[in-house]
Formats: sequence, C-alpha cells, structure tokens
Amino acid sequence: MSMPLTTLWVVPLIGAGVCALLGVRAKYAALVFSMFFVGLVAGLGVMQHSFAALSVVNEIGPVWAYGISYRLSADSLSIGLIGLTAFLNLICVIASWELEVSAGYWACFLALASALTGVFLARDLFFFYVFWEATLIPMFFIIGLWGSSNRLHAAVKFFLFTFSGSVFMLLAILALVSAHHRATGVWTWDLAVLDATTLGASAPLVFWGLVLGFAVKIPMVPLHTWLPDAHTEAPAAGSVMLAGVMLKMGVYGLLRIALPLFPNLAYESFPILGGLAAFSTIYGALCAMAQTDLKRMIAYSSVAHLGFCLLGVLSRTSQGLAGGTLQLINHGLTTGALFLMVGFMYERSHKRGLADFGDLASRAPYLAFFFGFSTLASIGLPGLNGFVGEFMALSGALATLPILAFAGVLGVTLAAAYALPAFQAVFWAPAGPGSVSDKVTDLDFRERAILWTLSGLMLWIGLAPLPWLAWFEPALRGLVR
Amino acid sequence: MIAMAPQAALAAGVLGALTLGLLRRPPARALRALVVAAVAAAMLLVVGVPVEGQVSTILLSDAKSVGWQYLIYLGALPLALWLDGTDDVLSALFLGAVLGMSLLAAAANLPMLFIALEFMSLPAYLLVARSRPGARGLEAAVKYFFAGGVAGALFMLGLSMYYADTHSLAASTDLSPLGQAGVALMAATALFKIGAFPLNWWLPDAYEAAAPEVSGFLSTAMKSAAVLFLMRLCELAPEARFAAYLPAIGAVTALTGSIMALRQERLQRLFAYSSISNAGLLIIGVGAWAAAGRTTDGVSAILFFLGAYAFMSNGTFAFIKHTGIETRAQLKGRGASMPAAAAAFTILLFSLAGIPPTGGFIAKLLLLWRAVDASLLWPAVIGGLSALISLAYYLGMTRDLWFETAQGPSLKPGAGLSLVIACAVGVVLLGAAPWLLSGLAGVPAP
Repeated sequence: MSMPLTTLWVVPLIGAGVCALLGVRAKYAALVFSMFFVGLVAGLGVMQHSFAALSVVNEIGPVWAYGISYRLSADSLSIGLIGLTAFLNLICVIASWELEVSAGYWACFLALASALTGVFLARDLFFFYVFWEATLIPMFFIIGLWGSSNRLHAAVKFFLFTFSGSVFMLLAILALVSAHHRATGVWTWDLAVLDATTLGASAPLVFWGLVLGFAVKIPMVPLHTWLPDAHTEAPAAGSVMLAGVMLKMGVYGLLRIALPLFPNLAYESFPILGGLAAFSTIYGALCAMAQTDLKRMIAYSSVAHLGFCLLGVLSRTSQGLAGGTLQLINHGLTTGALFLMVGFMYERSHKRGLADFGDLASRAPYLAFFFGFSTLASIGLPGLNGFVGEFMALSGALATLPILAFAGVLGVTLAAAYALPAFQAVFWAPAGPGSVSDKVTDLDFRERAILWTLSGLMLWIGLAPLPWLAWFEPALRGLVR
Repeated sequence: MIAMAPQAALAAGVLGALTLGLLRRPPARALRALVVAAVAAAMLLVVGVPVEGQVSTILLSDAKSVGWQYLIYLGALPLALWLDGTDDVLSALFLGAVLGMSLLAAAANLPMLFIALEFMSLPAYLLVARSRPGARGLEAAVKYFFAGGVAGALFMLGLSMYYADTHSLAASTDLSPLGQAGVALMAATALFKIGAFPLNWWLPDAYEAAAPEVSGFLSTAMKSAAVLFLMRLCELAPEARFAAYLPAIGAVTALTGSIMALRQERLQRLFAYSSISNAGLLIIGVGAWAAAGRTTDGVSAILFFLGAYAFMSNGTFAFIKHTGIETRAQLKGRGASMPAAAAAFTILLFSLAGIPPTGGFIAKLLLLWRAVDASLLWPAVIGGLSALISLAYYLGMTRDLWFETAQGPSLKPGAGLSLVIACAVGVVLLGAAPWLLSGLAGVPAP
C-alpha cells in the first residue's frame, strides 16, 4: 500500500491557494484543509506502523540537470515531525478562529505547513534547500502583517538572520555535491548517495557550513539573537509554529544530514558544539529570568529547551538521541501551549508584561490550571513530558562528557527559577495598581478544548513515553556512536 | 541566408517605422503594431535559424548567437509593448538598437563586433535622451554618450594593437604583450557596457533619468548583448590574460553595487545599482566559464541567469512605470491599495534576492556554482555575500509595501499591470520548472 508523499505537501499548498481566493470565508477552508492534512499524516502513520512495520516510504521523480531529482522519503522521524506540523497547524487555526484577519493569514499558515512538510520529506538536497527557504516567506508575512508593535523590525531581522545562515548551508551543500562529482564523475544531490562521499581536507569546511546553517535555526547561542524578537512580535499562532516546528528544522538538519555525513567530525566537535548547547541552556534560562514580558520569557526558554535537544542529539548515545528527539515534540507541545495562553491573555487585555497581571488564578481558574500545568511540563516535572526528554538527553550527555551534563542540570534548575516566580507573579500575587487582570475572562470552550488536547498529550508522553520512543527509534538507530 | 532572417525582420521594421513617419500624421496604432510585430517576428524567426557556424566572413550562427538572440528579443519585447506610437523616430531608434544587439550576437570577427557595438549603442543614447523630456534626461544621455564614446575609442585602440601583433582580425592563440594589452582594452569596452566597477559611473545616472521601461530594456537586452561581447572576446583570444581577472572584477562589482543600492531612495536608481550588482555576478560567471575551459555548462548558467533577469528587471521597471511610484517612501502601504501589482512586485523582489522557489534563486545558484566548481571560491563567496546584502533592500521594500501604512494621496496606476504579472509568473515558472528556459533557448540542459 502506498500513498504518494507529494500529496502531503501539496494538500496544504492547495489549501493556501483556496484560502487566498476565498476571501471572507477563508477560515472555513483553512479548517477543512488543516483537518484533512492531519488525517493524511495520521493515515500515513497508521499505514506505516501497522502494514509495513515501520518501513520507509519513498518517492523518486525524474532527474534534472546536475543530478537534481525530486526525491521524497518518509521514515518515522519525518512522519513524527510532519505529524507535529499538521497537529500544531490545526491547533493554530482553531486558536485563531475568533481573530479578525484577512484571508492571507490562513493562506500563510497553510503555505508554511506545506513548506515545513517538504523540508521533512525531501531527500534530495536541492529540494531540501528549496523547501527550507520557502518556509521563511510565509513566516515573514505572518510576523510582519499580523504581529505586534515592533513587528517590522522583527520580521526583517528574522528573515535576514536565518537566510544568512542558510547561505552557508547552501555553500556547504554545493561543495559536497561538487566533491562527489569530482570523486566519482556522477552528479547527484541524493542524500543517501552523498552519505558515502569521502571529502578529505574540505570535510571540516562542509561540516561547519552545514552546522552554521542549522545552528542559526535551532538557535544555538550566540546565533540566537533573532529569536526573542521574532517570537515576541509574531502573533500567538505564529509563535506556536515558529517555536513548535521551525526551530526543529535545525535539529532535524543535524539528525538527517550533518550527523550521518560526518559522524566522526560531529563526535570530535562535541566539546565545542555540546558546550555551546549546554551554555544555551544556562544562558537561555538566565535571560528568561531577566525578562519582564511574559512572551519574551517563553521565547528565551525556547533557547534553553533547544539546548537540551542538542545536547542529547549531539552526544550520539541511544538515550541521548531518543531523548533529544522526543524533546523536539515535547517542546512543540509545551511551549506551543504557553504561547497560546499568553496570546489568549493578550487578546483580552492587550498586555503581556509580568507586572500587568496579578491574582489571575481567582479570576480565570482554567487559565491558571493550564498555565501551571504547562509550566510544570516545561521545567521538567517528573510525570510530565519535559522530564522524560530532558532526563534522557542529559544522561546521553553524561555518558559522553559528564561536565556538560552537569551544566545542563544547572539549566534545569534555572528553568524552575524563572518559570515558577513568573507563574506566581501572574496568577497568585495580588494585583498591582496598573493591573489589567479584570479584563482577562476565563478560557471559553474552544480554548479549553485546545489546551485539554495539548495537556493530555503532555501527560501521556510523561506517563507512557515508550511508544513515542519506540516510534522514533528506527530512524535514530543508525546514528548511535 | 535564413540565418539572418531575424535581423532582416528588424531591419524591415526600422525602414517601415521611418516610412510611416513620412506621413503627415503617422498612424499611431500601425506604428505600435509594426514595432511589436518586428520584435515578435524576429523572436519567432530565431526558431528556424540553423546552428551551422560561419555564415559569411563577418557573421556566424552558433548555439550562443541563437540563444542570445532569444534573450535580446525577450528583453526588448516589453519596451516594444510600451513604446509610444506617436513617435516614429523613437520606434526606429529602438528597433535599430535591437538590430545592433542582434548583429552583435552574430558577429564573427572583431570589426563586425565593433560595428554592431556602435550600432546598438548610438540609438540607445538617443533613447535615453528622448524617452523622458527635460534637462535631466539630456544630461544623462550626454554622460552616457561620452562614456560610450570613450568605450568605443578604447575598443579601436585595443583592436589596432591586437592587429599590430597578430596581423589578423580573427581568433589567435599566440599573443605578445602588445596583443594581450589590446585584448584587455577591448575587454574593458565590454566591461564598460556591462557596468563593471569602476567603469560604471555613467550607469546609475542613465538608468535613473531614462523612462523606466527604457531602463528595463537597457538592463536586460543591452546587458545580455554586452555579456556575449565579453564572452566572444574570451573565445577570440583564448590565452588572453584578462580573463583571469574577471572573477575579481565581478566580485568587487557585485559587492559595490549591493552596498551602493542600500542607501538609495529613488527606485530607478536603486534598481540601477541592483543591476550593477547582478552584472558583477555575471562577470564572475563569465570568468568561471573561461577558467573552466569554456564549457557548455558555463554558457547555460550565464544564459539562464540572463533569461531569468530579463523577467525580473523588466518586471520591476514595469511596476515603476505602471504604478508611478518613484521613491521608496511612496512604496509604503501600497500593498493594500494595489494588491495584484504589489504581489507581483513582491515575487520579483524575492526572485531578485535569490530566494527559492523563484527563477532568481536557480540563476544565482547555477552561476555561483560554476564559480565554486572552477575553484573560484572567493569570488563565489563574495558574490553570495553581495546577494545577502541585497536582501536588506529587497526585504526592506517588501516590508514598506505590505507592513507599513500608506501616506499621501492614493495613486492612480496606469496601464501595464498584465506585464508586471506576466513577469512574476515567468520567474515563478522558471523557479518551479527551470528546464523551460534551457530547452527554449536551444542550449541543451547540462
């Protein structure tokens, strides 16, 4: 049984086109297409899981010049991340349902989902790059058109930063393809073939070019400066997609391209890259601690969380890889939920500073419950999803370079030090003189439904992580050192 | 003789336009139809041109001459559509310039190259002067004319040195320093026309003062012809040393063009510098092509770049013409009031910035990759860097267009929306299906 993988990225793209044409009723089309997209991914996942025993689905098109060929493939890692994309995209559509936005808003989200799906499917580096860059365009407009006050600056900064990183990635890819051609006389951009290329002296250059491109996206300190602006200024749903999926592209790139191609270099550079990852966890947490804007605090916490993912993935131990990958999903759910709730608060009060609220727990108990739940998941409370991912990632680092694991543990502690006081200030502390808490009504049914779903998943992964870990395991097996 | 059919069609067009001009009241419609028909006929007739090498002692028809004729007609077609039918002289000048470019593409030896060069340049000066009334247009045209005159003189000097050395006007492999210097001078003429640093001081003035559609024509058809001119020189003197300097010249040109464009307020001047930046990339491409032993791959990359650029540049200048927007400040917030034109313009900007999935991305990729492959790593990196710098103003314009709120009175867009949209569709098609152009131009896909 097979389903053409092309449908996976074409369906949301068609949805984007339909939304753009429909105008006023675009959000209904967006909902239908988002649900259809989720259904497609779920169908593919079920099919792969039950009929083909976690096999890999391929789709290969004809070859164009220089060996560029349309080549898609879906293994469990790809399907997992596409599933996250489809799921969060649907959540975003539902979460934005009451917003008064033009048709372009919905079209941008579907176009973004389409490009992200393409990134996770492409196995030809040319198409990988095309999809990779194509994700920037809808996000640029989402931030620039529907973001908050400083959106103009944030949109351009976001685009310039990530595009600059990608250019290095492109140069590295070109060098790789050229080197393969020189060695074998064959032009190819096929990742599976390029895996076997021996680069010789230029290998470090190619490796670092790729890593630079991915590190900007992840983002790894000190290349993270675009993130706080972009995440803070984007509309709530935009932040969800940005943090929930777009940051994952960088780690995915490492897992899919940099690690398989350069296993030894990745290992040798672990003290540097792992060190930066561990530093990211601490630095992100310290920056988050200093924020007075709730959304900006969550943005910085993303820097810290992605540091854990990296630490696990780069350790190349089985537990580290599994934990780091699971943490990608975890972060998508938890941070997604937090960004959405800040968005709900902002919609009601047009404020999001820590000092603007107080005593919200008595006024909006559901909001307080879900916010607390997500905060606890985010700081890694045992029994919730964050704990599983962070614990496994850190134990992977411990097995490779213990000092980095210790640094990571410090990062976990610091996470509690910024997240809990923030929760306290917003929900429990008495409302200050300028408080807008009375404007914040409690969550309505639609909003609660979204958060029940997200929280349920957090709990599920926290209590029974094994099926999730088993899902990703086949794709990661080959990367273990 | 069928090889010269396109040129014959254009020559007939020139004569026809002048003849119509003899009437007391020239029929504007007939004149416009004549101009469009001449260019379109030339474009169609290229299909039948056999690739047979030497046609006569002074003309040839090879894969490049055929491919470039497509480019030239493609670049010229928008201006043909824009031209005002009431001015028979302008029409004749325009067709004459196209004929000159077309002859340049088919020139087989150095004197013919020179004649074709002057043939295409002289009408172009007058086009700049006549396209927009006023003193500024005249001043720019005079500047352009003097620059062009100097370039022509350089060529003659170079040609005589070359002849003194080789006693021949055809290709030569064995050059003394005198001959080397001669070829270098001739190459300087080509670089003048392409707009290479530091020989490009005339270019922003000319592009800014001319009517937008004329700037579009100069930056596409004229630039294509000039690039082929440079390539012909590389072929005529395969051992000439100037080719080794091309990547460096191109890199500096690309970088300075991008940096200068950053601070421009007037759109036409901005796109003039942007065209200098793109010219730099092209020169890197020609250098890489020469360094790699003049392969078909290199030709395809340059051809593709020029083809994609024909859409991008003509599209952006058509947008300026259509909307009447002259400065960046006037761009602000126009996305809401003229969504179709603004969306098309945005696509063109993304393509110019080299963002996939557009033709501009493939063009830059192929060209810079040729450089990487020819071990010209630094020029490629600087070329990439200049593309990154250019992103700042392309994105900036996108931001102004969509994210800002409009100030000042609303604009009344003129004709030509369909042309802007057609160009945008063209770059998207080239990005999604790049083989379209390589197949169309008669150069086999690598």
